[in-house]
Amino acid sequence: MKGAVLPTPGQRLVTRRDLLKYGVAGSAVVLLGPLAASSASASARARVSAAVRSSNAVKRGGTLRFARSIGPTTLDPANTIIAGDIYTLDKILEPLYVTNPAGQLVPWLATGYELSTDHRTFTFSLRPGVKFSNGKPLVADDVVFSINRTRKDAAGPLSFLDYAITDIEAKGTDSVVFQLSQPWAPFLSDLSVFANAVLPADFAGQSEKDFFTAPIGTGPFTLDGFTPDANSLTLKANPNYWQAGKPYLDAVEFLYVDNDNQRVLQIQGGQVDIIDTVPPANVSSLKASSGLDVDLFSAWQVDLLVMNERLPQFADRHVRRAITYAIDRPALVHAASFGTAKPGGSFFPPSLQYYSASTSVLEYSLAQAKAELAQSKFPNGFSTKLLIDGGVQKWVTFAQIIKAQLQSININVDITPLDHSAFESTFQKYDYDMFIDYAINDISDPDEMASFEVDVKDGGSESYWSDYDNPKAIALVHAAEAEYDATKRAALYAQIQEIVAEDAPFVALDYPPYIYAVSDHVNGFEVNPGGAYRLEDVWLT
Amino acid sequence: MLRYAARRVAAAVLVVFGVTLATFLLMHLEPGDPARAVLGLHATASAVATLRRQWGLNSSLPVQLGHFLSQLVQGNLGKSYIYNVSAASLIGGRVGQTAALVAVATVFAIIFTVPLSALAASRQNGVADHVVRALSVVGLALPAFWFGIVLIEVFAVRLHLLPVGGEGSGFGGHLECLVLPGLTASFAMAPILVRSLRVGMLEVMDAEFIAVARAKGLGELRVLFGHVARNALVPTVTLLGLNIAYLIGSTVIVEQVFNLNGLGSLLLSSILNRDFPVVQATTLVLGAGVVIVNLATDLLAARLDPRIRLR
Repeated sequence: MKGAVLPTPGQRLVTRRDLLKYGVAGSAVVLLGPLAASSASASARARVSAAVRSSNAVKRGGTLRFARSIGPTTLDPANTIIAGDIYTLDKILEPLYVTNPAGQLVPWLATGYELSTDHRTFTFSLRPGVKFSNGKPLVADDVVFSINRTRKDAAGPLSFLDYAITDIEAKGTDSVVFQLSQPWAPFLSDLSVFANAVLPADFAGQSEKDFFTAPIGTGPFTLDGFTPDANSLTLKANPNYWQAGKPYLDAVEFLYVDNDNQRVLQIQGGQVDIIDTVPPANVSSLKASSGLDVDLFSAWQVDLLVMNERLPQFADRHVRRAITYAIDRPALVHAASFGTAKPGGSFFPPSLQYYSASTSVLEYSLAQAKAELAQSKFPNGFSTKLLIDGGVQKWVTFAQIIKAQLQSININVDITPLDHSAFESTFQKYDYDMFIDYAINDISDPDEMASFEVDVKDGGSESYWSDYDNPKAIALVHAAEAEYDATKRAALYAQIQEIVAEDAPFVALDYPPYIYAVSDHVNGFEVNPGGAYRLEDVWLT
Repeated sequence: MLRYAARRVAAAVLVVFGVTLATFLLMHLEPGDPARAVLGLHATASAVATLRRQWGLNSSLPVQLGHFLSQLVQGNLGKSYIYNVSAASLIGGRVGQTAALVAVATVFAIIFTVPLSALAASRQNGVADHVVRALSVVGLALPAFWFGIVLIEVFAVRLHLLPVGGEGSGFGGHLECLVLPGLTASFAMAPILVRSLRVGMLEVMDAEFIAVARAKGLGELRVLFGHVARNALVPTVTLLGLNIAYLIGSTVIVEQVFNLNGLGSLLLSSILNRDFPVVQATTLVLGAGVVIVNLATDLLAARLDPRIRLR
């Protein structure tokens, strides 16, 4: 059963609409085949289509200067969840599959797989000709070693993604057999997470500690030595990289600039070529600056207002629905994100696979809000507290608007701002009434978000610390995990989204994008909805 | 003198110990969990508990304090939770940056203070005097984070004369990167110094020995810098010392604005991550720095004015 019905490697990368849109550029993508297409993807960015159009005129060499808000603390993929670590190590170490900028899985160190008839045995064939940066070829034992290491690390922040795997075996040097405990539809997606990146078996003979100071990987870049807490880090092109002719850059210099203003000023002053995490308030002024552009990339992210169902007022479904009706999400987005985000509806962001646009969202309506509250046990309203991470301006603005809007249905809100760390440990102890936070998906499959937000028992977060418990929704989450048929899965996830929208355990406030400012001389830069960017396709003019 | 210094050092040790103790208690009483910062939201409760046990965070506060102090006495500042290297090595990598910033800011402050106060004092109630006094009030009112951004906008983004931020490479590049931060930090202290030195000089100008100096036929500049300034300097030196101490604390803000990797930004990020050992060690070093500067100020004042008896 080759290819099966899982998101097939390399399928649909260019739609007919894209072809019409890009004209010549689009056909070039088709001719270049799936891999090249994955780098160009279906994103509607003029710069990229220009890059593809002139792909025979790619300029080589140069150093990309990239200012990021957070630096790395470790390069061990099995033991981190921090963005500064992830987006450094993923340039050096690669997994069997990756998610392209359009949000689809594409085969990477694997070329494809065969699935047994009981849906429990996956046999992957490895890409021929792949070498590690030390010149040694990639073999099946490396994959077995790496993924076993990640999944057996109980303290690994993402080892839960490998929970369906019961055994991994090398078959010869070029294929790997995975045994699963049950049919597990998110499997390919799980394999694509950075934590499942492939290292040389036994750390190529080094100690684990030494290995991660200068990791050896199959990725487009290499690192001479890692110094924790340095203010910059330079990656060099890997001469053994398996995509012939890539990377185009000689080197990438990451600079760590945690102050938002500094990052913005550094790109305006021409000191760097790309900055991440642009504050929405700066978008219009940056767009007006000459020589650079602001790019928004859709993210698997949703901002949520979570309500504590262990309290009587929020255990009352009518109260939760009243609050949802009372919050004017388009107004919220307009005020706080300066038009960069989309107003919230379903708890799945639109960029996520199996998002259902037809979910019956409780749209803003003061009349409906009042009607719902009248049916609740608290028809005259009540006083409550809203916990936020006070260090993030967006949350402060959100909280103030929500406070004003809930006032109109007689719910008085007191805002409690705490610093990030105190904020997290407070809501995790259920020491809150309502809080605002964002939820993200680390992989292309929506199972992670669905279980985390809905499966109160096994999801890992008691429905994002809301204690929301709907057995029907939980059963659907489990059914979707075992369903390989894409159409049937879509129907299951549509039902889940429908139930959650009706139960209103949390209000999906908005879907924010990733915001980058990029100099005009940078070509081919794209970010996938998980927040990862591959730099082997980037070149400078 | 030696006995005085020894007594001051002993007092300093007590002060630093007090600072350390206060930091320890404040950090541990504040909610927030370093294990969550490292493991993320998806971590299981058992993974978090394992890490906390590993770091000794599960024992009672007095036990943790005892452990911390016994390590400290042995010269061990602890190991960072986040970076997994010793706090001492993190500080070692950053202390130079903060020291350089403080030094450059102090030099700028002196360069502004001496001529401006001499100008104002020599033209008392004249136009120059009023301008200097008005400027010093404006300078006092400028918050560092705002003034720093204005300097960047003008000198780096528009005129491209200096870097926006960061540390540069090589000695020249490094110095270049310290000009704007140094200016920003010096503006927080120069106004006070100008006002103090101006008043001091005015007082000295009325003294009889100045009249004598003038009667001897000395030039006005020579009178101003050789006699007036020298004698008016003592209170300003004391004030300068106090301000350097204050400046060490305000590096937290200036380093943020200019993206300098010094102790201030290390302190801030460690507090946000609840990286307890690094917070402890950094406050210890910053506290010791303040105490040392104060001590040096007192010794210098005594040297400038032999009438000051060190007791």
